[in-house]
Amino acid sequence: MTYAAKTFSRGALVVAALAISAAAAADTDLEQLMANSSNWASQAGDYANQRHSKLAQINAGNAGNLQVAWTMSTGVLRGHEGSPLVIGDTMYMHTPFPNNVYAINLKDQTFKWKYEPKQDAAVIPVMCCDTVNRGLAYGDGKIFLQQADTTLVALDAQTGKVVWTAKNGDAKIGETNTNAPHVFKDKLITGISGGEFGVRGRLIAYDVHTGKKVWTAWSTGPDEDLLFDPAKTMTWTNGKMAPVGKDSSLKTWQGTQWKLGGGTTWGWYSYDPKLNLVYYGSGNPGTWNPAQRPGDNKWSMTIFARDLDTGKAKWVFQMTPHDEWDFDGVNEMVLVDVEEGGKKVPALVHFDRNGFGYTLNRVTGELLVAKKFDPAVNWASTVDMKTGRPQVDKKFSPGTTGPDVDVKNICPAALGSKDEQPSSYDPATNLLFVPTNHVCMTYEPFQVEYSAGQPYVGATLTMFPAPNSHGGMGNFIAWDAATGTIKWSLPERFSVWSGVLTTDGNVAFYGTLEGYLKAVSTKDGKELWKFKMPSGIIGNVFTYEYQGRQYLGVYSGIGGWAGIGMAAGLTGTTEGLGAVGGYKDLARFTTLGGTLFVFDLPQDAGAKVAAN
Amino acid sequence: MPVAACGAAAVAVCTFAWSQEASAPVAGKSATTDLYTVREGSKVDAHTLAGWKTWRALACDRCHGPQQEGLVGPSLVNSLKMLTKEQFHVTVINGRLDKGMPSFGTSTMMQANWEGLYAYLKGRSDGNIAPGHLYPLDGATDK
Repeated sequence: MTYAAKTFSRGALVVAALAISAAAAADTDLEQLMANSSNWASQAGDYANQRHSKLAQINAGNAGNLQVAWTMSTGVLRGHEGSPLVIGDTMYMHTPFPNNVYAINLKDQTFKWKYEPKQDAAVIPVMCCDTVNRGLAYGDGKIFLQQADTTLVALDAQTGKVVWTAKNGDAKIGETNTNAPHVFKDKLITGISGGEFGVRGRLIAYDVHTGKKVWTAWSTGPDEDLLFDPAKTMTWTNGKMAPVGKDSSLKTWQGTQWKLGGGTTWGWYSYDPKLNLVYYGSGNPGTWNPAQRPGDNKWSMTIFARDLDTGKAKWVFQMTPHDEWDFDGVNEMVLVDVEEGGKKVPALVHFDRNGFGYTLNRVTGELLVAKKFDPAVNWASTVDMKTGRPQVDKKFSPGTTGPDVDVKNICPAALGSKDEQPSSYDPATNLLFVPTNHVCMTYEPFQVEYSAGQPYVGATLTMFPAPNSHGGMGNFIAWDAATGTIKWSLPERFSVWSGVLTTDGNVAFYGTLEGYLKAVSTKDGKELWKFKMPSGIIGNVFTYEYQGRQYLGVYSGIGGWAGIGMAAGLTGTTEGLGAVGGYKDLARFTTLGGTLFVFDLPQDAGAKVAAN
Repeated sequence: MPVAACGAAAVAVCTFAWSQEASAPVAGKSATTDLYTVREGSKVDAHTLAGWKTWRALACDRCHGPQQEGLVGPSLVNSLKMLTKEQFHVTVINGRLDKGMPSFGTSTMMQANWEGLYAYLKGRSDGNIAPGHLYPLDGATDK
């Protein structure tokens, strides 16, 4: 099958939303704002997680002339993930912990208001070892901030005044938040982090107007907690969809282990207004020592499709049953339409940490495609298309070899062939552009005991660039989700840990850990432009239009996983340790930072010459 | 995942050694002090071994690095040259919350083994105990 060029048009989204719930749509303004490409009104620019803009002023022909328009310090030297939002003449910028929010007047780049929350510093250790935040959401005239300490705050977008707050979890037992909240229709959806602290994952929906909790859908436990109907919630079974049955989660855990089951929900969510379904993935099961938790550990590592209004699960698909590698399933679900046998199929595309790129029918949950998106992946040979289960190679199975055994050369490493850094779908080429990791690991599990608020990991890992390859730790790839094939692949020295943007200008933009913002042709990956930032890029590229000019932006500020890798590379002690690999190099390129960069094209020919 | 990739704080949580063979035993030193006994760098007395297991189970490496060389948290190879045993005790039990050091006061493993952990880290700081996996004095080092 091949992709149909047709995907959601933003106009269609608005119409569909109105049709489904006139009342709800009438008092939310987000759909209209997203339909206007001048804005970047949500983290992905749309509900479907396509991260594609119709703007084309900056295009493959002139991207080589991009220049810095203005910059702004965030005042924080930590990992900067996510991106600002732009609505009309205002940009809303967020920071890592302490999670400040700044409203910037685009006219003169002055601050309209600032919100600087006071959070208990005790939350930092449980976020160990970095304090990222993936950004804000907008809806109903409010800016929504999901603080690290699990406080959810609604701010008046005009004034920055607090409208309501809600508490989403408890940092004392290791519950924190790094995810961006998402507004879908009249609901604010958020999740929870803490998969390394025995936290039990769930997705939570709030009323955008009042902050009242509408539903909570747990990842593990009894059917009523999961919001499953054993007879109606479906999953891929022997080549077709079948009901999950009673106690589908409980049956796959020993005793009450599901209470520490993980399955956290810190990724990017998406929404189909026609189906009224929310899509997201759950993370790793509790403790990384698989011997300690026999069973498939449902529904960790799972794609969920839930009704937005009730939270009820329509279908689920577990990608990595009984995880032995920390392959969280939280990466974004991109909603696109693919063509199969001449028919258009509403699909969901997902690049999992486990190294397989999945295409599912998003209406029914049927498995259509599951293929490796990095040839280095070796822990499983294929995904059995009948059962949906990866065919695990026992050589690379820490659960088979057991505790206190070092399992070597597993590809990918725990951070996956791709982590949270979101991909982009380009309708013109029908391709997804994917920022990936090219890293392998050794994995030694060991016995751990649970103690509330203490790390609950149970494995020692080392990571290194994929052997027998180009020596780098990342690739930027173009992917055909209809067939599951890599169209082209650009080797990168380091993991590509930045969210991708594509535009109608036939350009894909992404950042690198060294700090290069790059523009490449969506046709063939040819590099059109690059610019070196002061600090490495783990944020997501975004674009907007203001007073007739297109702008492009991204945060510069290395940290998180990447910063820690860099710090490790800085050490000279190698006694007993092999080469530190490509990451050692990172310290030659960059250091910590926290700056927003905004680019545009030169105003006139003179400026163009100067820029060159 | 651990650090970033890790489930919890996402990127935040994952750390690990960026190296090929963190656990390979090295032809190391043999020494006996008031605190620990080590042979060939990575075979240690039971008390110190329990300390290393505590280090591993409480995932101290996420902040202090797989070789105690420091990451987000300070280098313990350096810190243990200055900290007294009592200061060390206070730090692990109470934490230094403002600096990002958690309190391990509720951890029974830490309460039982903090002195062994102190011995282990002193051995690392002294340069007598090798980084990576440790083994019993009478045990084999190959897994």
